[in-house]
Amino acid sequence: MVFSFLKAPALSPRLHRLKNSALFATLTPLELKIVDGLLHERVYLADEIIFDEGEEGHAIYMVVSGHVTISRTVDGKIESVASLVPGAFFGDLALIDNSPRGAQARAADNCELAVFFRADFLALMNTDAVIGYKVSLALAHHFAQYVRARYAGQPQVEVL
Amino acid sequence: MNPRDQRAGPVVWTCIIAATCVLLVLLEKMLFLAVPFLLAIILYYALVGPTQRMIRSGVSRNSSALTIVGLFFAIIALAGYLAVSSSKSIPNGTLQNVLGHYMDGGIAFVSNTALALETNFPLLHQMRLNDLVNARYAAYSENFAQRHLADILLSIAAGVPSALLAPFLAFFFLRDGTRFGRFLARAVPNAFFEKTLYLMHEVDLTARRYFQGLIKLTALDTIVLAFGLWSIGVSSPIVLGLISALLAWVPYVGSICGCMMVVMVASTDAPNDPLVAYGAIIVFVLVRLLDDFVFMPLTVGRSLRIHPLITVLMIFIGGAVAGITGLMLVVPLLGIVMVVGETLGRLITNPRLRARHRNAIALRTRQASADLLL
Repeated sequence: MVFSFLKAPALSPRLHRLKNSALFATLTPLELKIVDGLLHERVYLADEIIFDEGEEGHAIYMVVSGHVTISRTVDGKIESVASLVPGAFFGDLALIDNSPRGAQARAADNCELAVFFRADFLALMNTDAVIGYKVSLALAHHFAQYVRARYAGQPQVEVL
Repeated sequence: MNPRDQRAGPVVWTCIIAATCVLLVLLEKMLFLAVPFLLAIILYYALVGPTQRMIRSGVSRNSSALTIVGLFFAIIALAGYLAVSSSKSIPNGTLQNVLGHYMDGGIAFVSNTALALETNFPLLHQMRLNDLVNARYAAYSENFAQRHLADILLSIAAGVPSALLAPFLAFFFLRDGTRFGRFLARAVPNAFFEKTLYLMHEVDLTARRYFQGLIKLTALDTIVLAFGLWSIGVSSPIVLGLISALLAWVPYVGSICGCMMVVMVASTDAPNDPLVAYGAIIVFVLVRLLDDFVFMPLTVGRSLRIHPLITVLMIFIGGAVAGITGLMLVVPLLGIVMVVGETLGRLITNPRLRARHRNAIALRTRQASADLLL
């Protein structure tokens, strides 16, 4: 077809998995491909620490496969505060600033994570404002959910 | 707290300076590779912005890099052609004739200046300053071809093919730079991964700030020097300004060569009016002062955050250790080694990260040997 180039390209299984993440749900296939070029893949074994509470954050993590446990030290005791499934993301405060991590992230089972480095995100904001605003809006939605859950007294959403 | 805010101690700094000196010695030994790499890195940082914009507009990485590098060299070739064809004072003939023409102009200027000094200062007349200058020049130029020309031509012949590597290297840096960064990051253990990403980003940022600062500094120097030379009536001011600004990349030596070139052209343009050549020297010195005290702190100076005393000392050490290459490379190299040294120092001395790495190794070993009798 003459106008076939106007059709959106088919998403690879990898891009499909990225599209399933709330952070990238609104991105077009081309935008997803651009973001995918910036992501790092990491594989963690069950019980391996991804980051520690209080550690300086430089990146946001997305669960591609497996599960991740988020735990926090409260009064000297470690409390599990969330269990994340594929499609979820964590470490989101690192995209906003270099603040210390608010909790520890640990692989609950063997898992594959996609890592979005803060400097890459900021560079993307400069060179491709549309992707930057879409990702920022997704982050804002996430924070809004967290605030609403806090007001309702049931914080099921975690911001790290 | 930002990791860069935690400054390194004297031991780390000693290691940083020692590592910089070792790298300079190695670079000098591999000059045939160091020069094209340096040119390619400068090209990379000049062209990385437009290339990334093309990639993000949907063009493939390969086509973007090829188009931008091709366009850049087409513009350079066109600008070079226009500059040469628009120069009125360049005589027709071979390169040797052109060089000879300007050399004669420069020698006549020196000779006239010596004569003028003899006229005004009887002591210099008694010393026969002009005869002394002419004799020295004759002694130097008499056997110049036998003593130096072969070496110069050989080094140019050896340098040209390697310099031609620069556009190819720049193309591959632009096309595969990001992928290479991700490839390197894959080799890093999980425990150190985030900090290493930060380290790589800081190294890139330091090099980017330095080389982009250098490009801005070159543009500023070219514009100001060209304006100054144009205002006193020297021909081809933009070409002279650009060549002088490029020569200034080599600290001290480059500026002296640039000044000599400008004076030779100015004295050839106006052989009967030495004021033009004196004016060119004054303009050149003023531009160097502006460069050192205004432009440099605004561009390159801000990029590395190294104490000025250390920078000056390292320039001397670089020159002593690796000659012209050392002078050129010591500052950016020190900046990069400083970032790597400071961050590696913090990574290696962090007991929690090392414990997490040991834990990850133990987990991998346990998983790999789960169904084995050991």
